[in-house]
Amino acid sequence: MSGQMSQESDNEYSDDHIEDDEDEYDNYYYDNNDDLDLDKPKKSDDPEYFEFDLLKVEDVERLLNEEVEALCTSLKITPSLAKMLLHAHGWQRSLIIERHQRDPEKFLVDSRIVADKKNISQDNIMGLTHTCPICVQQLSKDEFQALSCQHLFCNECWDMHFNIQINQGLTTGIECMGKDCKLLVPEDFICGILKDTSMREKYFKFSFTDLIKSHSQLRFCPGPNCSIVVQAKEPKAKRVECNMCKSTFCFRCGIDYHAPTDCDTIKKWLMKCADDSETANYISANTKDCPKCHVCIEKNGGCNHMQCSKCKSDFCWMCLGEWKTHGSEYYECSRFKENPNIANESVHVQAREALKKYLFYYERWENHAKSLTLEEQTFKNISTRIQEKVMNNEGTWIAWQYLLKAADLLKKCRYSLQYTYPYAYYLDRGGRKELFEYQQAQLEAEVENLSWKVERAEISDTGELENLMDIAEKRRLTLLKDFLEV
Amino acid sequence: MAGLPRRILKETQRLMQEPVPGISAIPDDNNARYFHVVIKGPSESPYHSGLFELELFLPEEYPMSAPKVRFMTKIYHPNIDKLGRICLDILKDKWSPALQIRTVLLSIQALLSAPNPDDPLDNNVADLWKCNEQQAIETAKDWTRKYAMAKNNNIQ
Ligand SMILES: [Zn+2]
Ligand SMILES: [Zn+2]
Ligand SMILES: [Zn+2]
Ligand SMILES: [Zn+2]
Ligand SMILES: [Zn+2]
Ligand SMILES: [Zn+2]
Repeated sequence: MSGQMSQESDNEYSDDHIEDDEDEYDNYYYDNNDDLDLDKPKKSDDPEYFEFDLLKVEDVERLLNEEVEALCTSLKITPSLAKMLLHAHGWQRSLIIERHQRDPEKFLVDSRIVADKKNISQDNIMGLTHTCPICVQQLSKDEFQALSCQHLFCNECWDMHFNIQINQGLTTGIECMGKDCKLLVPEDFICGILKDTSMREKYFKFSFTDLIKSHSQLRFCPGPNCSIVVQAKEPKAKRVECNMCKSTFCFRCGIDYHAPTDCDTIKKWLMKCADDSETANYISANTKDCPKCHVCIEKNGGCNHMQCSKCKSDFCWMCLGEWKTHGSEYYECSRFKENPNIANESVHVQAREALKKYLFYYERWENHAKSLTLEEQTFKNISTRIQEKVMNNEGTWIAWQYLLKAADLLKKCRYSLQYTYPYAYYLDRGGRKELFEYQQAQLEAEVENLSWKVERAEISDTGELENLMDIAEKRRLTLLKDFLEV
Repeated sequence: MAGLPRRILKETQRLMQEPVPGISAIPDDNNARYFHVVIKGPSESPYHSGLFELELFLPEEYPMSAPKVRFMTKIYHPNIDKLGRICLDILKDKWSPALQIRTVLLSIQALLSAPNPDDPLDNNVADLWKCNEQQAIETAKDWTRKYAMAKNNNIQ
């Protein structure tokens, strides 16, 4: 590196610039390296590959309006009706058109838009006045309105009904007031009756949200106060990152990304953890005793490979076993050994075993989650360490960047590793589980190797660390390729 | 009370003139939206010959919003909790302005005849109801004797 370059870098050592600078360096590489395109993840070899767009509210409004208009033209119906159909059928336009062409009347009845002939009220207005069944007031007949079910109510009662429903957050789901009548009230009927303009605005605001939620290709960013809507052609359980609020989440279910576990399983697992939180509480200790000399050891980094400060023995934080055994082919720390004879045991033994199994997986899940927060700290420590090293003339700032990259990759691998535990918990015994546990153990071993090294790396370790990074990421991708549903 | 909606007046009138068998609902002297209710435990149910007191209140938005009803007498039932709150769909999201006080009370009476442990409000009661129905029914009878037979209410 030229002297001039290091001088330039000198000004950029201050902490608050580091992250921005990293982006700039990325751009620098992208712009200058023609071969790099070849290294970019491709659809075929990246199990996490996912195409999506981030839309602003105006973009979504335009998109929905276009879809509504297209349906209006194909079926020759009002926009209000088109919206109801699209909402009821997940915005699958071709399916709607097909079912409408096959039997329009039945389709509209099934969609709760037109009343079934046998449910139409015979309660007609005979004279000039009529008694509203809700407020029991006798009013002139032009004070009354009904949907196709002919359930007549006075305008004032309709208005009150809509006000109360909208204030409860209901819009597209507002039904007729008739007894047992499930007919949905269309937007234009509601807006024709609502007297209060602020109520009308509220209706449009809430129904817009409802329409987006019913659209299988759209999902609100779950980030706090974020108004971004994600659009993806295929509603898959893949990772999405919002560039506005930086949240990452699963496109299909909107919660934290959870590969290799699927949406239903992770929901089941999180619910179980919430239900059993008291049982699992005792686990949350940050200190354990050294298995050799029994001195109290505090865990203050993400790495589970511990070294006792007093007797220098190496042991595993999770199982307190010797660390030596952990790197080998026979790595057993992540595997729960089930009693093969469990079906013949008493109910009590079975219950105890079930609890033991759950706690085994929960402990490991929880431990990786904690390690991840500790690694946030490690990341900050690394930035400080790099600054000190550069100031002491041990390597240049750019030469040390590999360590930040390693810390970043470590987070990604540990994150996936954490989410392998719910997957394994619900996996039935058999060959597939064995393969999964084998790959999980391999990943676990590499993650801990990398973690140990990242906390201690020197500038001369670049090559070794890059090698470790490469292996860890390969293990992660192999596991996802075999077990993540595409 | 000034400005009591016609609907409430009509319903009250009818409740007094043609009362529902096994149920009495009398408006409070000072508040026409508040009803003192007594439901007789249906025969063939563990609540048989008990008299259960309830309070029923018609909120400002009634009939657009459901009446608020609560058991005052202690009762052992999977759909009724310690505070006497009732798990009944028409009191919540299935409410329709076409329903009346009368229909609500009839539904509560029906709930006493047919407890539904699959849609529970009190999980402990519902669990016992599901895994040992006989014992649950005995407890319900016991509570009825203890809490619902002490006073001698007048009921048609
Ligand atoms: Zn009316
Ligand atoms: Zn209707
Ligand atoms: Zn966002
Ligand atoms: Zn998901
Ligand atoms: Zn030690
Ligand atoms: Zn271990």
